[in-house]
Amino acid sequence: MNPLVVSNLLLWLLVVVLAVVVLALVRQVGVLHERITPVGALMLAKGLKVGELAPTLPLEALSGAAVTVGGARADGRSLLILFVSPTCPVCKVLLPVLKSSRKSESDWLDMMLASDGDLADQRAFVAEHGLDVFPYVVSTPLGLSYQVSRLPYAVILDSEGILRARGLINSREHLESLFEAKRLGVASMQDFLEGRHASTSA
Amino acid sequence: MVVDPTVGLVLILAYAALLLPAAWHKVRDLPVFVATLDAYRVLPRALVPALAPLVPVIEAAVVVGLFVPAYRALAADTAAALLLLYALAMAINLVRGRVDLDCGCTGPLERRPVAAWMVYRNALLAGLVLPLSRPWNGRALDGNDFFTVAAALATIVILWLAIDRLLGDVAPRGALLKASR
Repeated sequence: MNPLVVSNLLLWLLVVVLAVVVLALVRQVGVLHERITPVGALMLAKGLKVGELAPTLPLEALSGAAVTVGGARADGRSLLILFVSPTCPVCKVLLPVLKSSRKSESDWLDMMLASDGDLADQRAFVAEHGLDVFPYVVSTPLGLSYQVSRLPYAVILDSEGILRARGLINSREHLESLFEAKRLGVASMQDFLEGRHASTSA
Repeated sequence: MVVDPTVGLVLILAYAALLLPAAWHKVRDLPVFVATLDAYRVLPRALVPALAPLVPVIEAAVVVGLFVPAYRALAADTAAALLLLYALAMAINLVRGRVDLDCGCTGPLERRPVAAWMVYRNALLAGLVLPLSRPWNGRALDGNDFFTVAAALATIVILWLAIDRLLGDVAPRGALLKASR
């Protein structure tokens, strides 16, 4: 074989191996960042845990009505807050699912939508998707208090104002798993499957 | 400029590896893609549901066209135009200050906001596809060439994943870490 060809074959092999090593290193750096970030990003990164009392926030809905999020409720019903945004495509796809769940779960659950950002955009979003059946709150503190980092994100509060379930929602199944998690008294279906029951005291 | 078939074949396969999964993501979850395209606010809203299904069809057609010599130049120009349009749509939204807009470039389960590097990336990709619109020299390929094509393609795919991860995930987190110190 021509020495140049041999050299070339060898070089290609080494280049491929090198590329794999670079990819592995990049992933390792990503893992390291993930580990370090909570230290750097301080207290806010934690958010509420399932089983903890949610803060009581007096807010105003887009319609102008006063809405209180959190705290004990006299009627014994639970509250689902879905965090959405006009810029989030998956949210739009999920809205019909939410409307049908609102009917099927109406015996125990109230629903509201929460968002953040430009009010005109929010109004257009509500009008376009017929969201006036839900209380619609635009509030940065609300999103911060539940540490919502990705959308659409849902939390369920029970009638005592205690956080019962939370999670990122991408589909009907995800939403229903939250209802199931609330019924079973676990933090999430992952926790249930791992047998780690949340502390449901308080 | 005349393109060597080895280089041409590497380019064709690399763009196929880029565009086919992109088209597949869009088709598999068309409602999400329609909403993504709508959120970009660059097309009249009434036209979005009708135009959105065309995008994956164009992407797939470009891939098929790249493999057919008679249509190769047209497919390459279309691919470049498409990639520049994506870059333009992202640039417009970055100028508008909509840094929280989901780019729609990671598949349905992950969210990634649009960023400047994606604009440059797409401009670069649009430039790199253009050699395919040039004629090829008639050199016959032998075993060594096929080895070169396979190795180059593997390297490109792995480096693509690494760079995408680095710029899309690791670098923003690193910046966040720096800012919080």
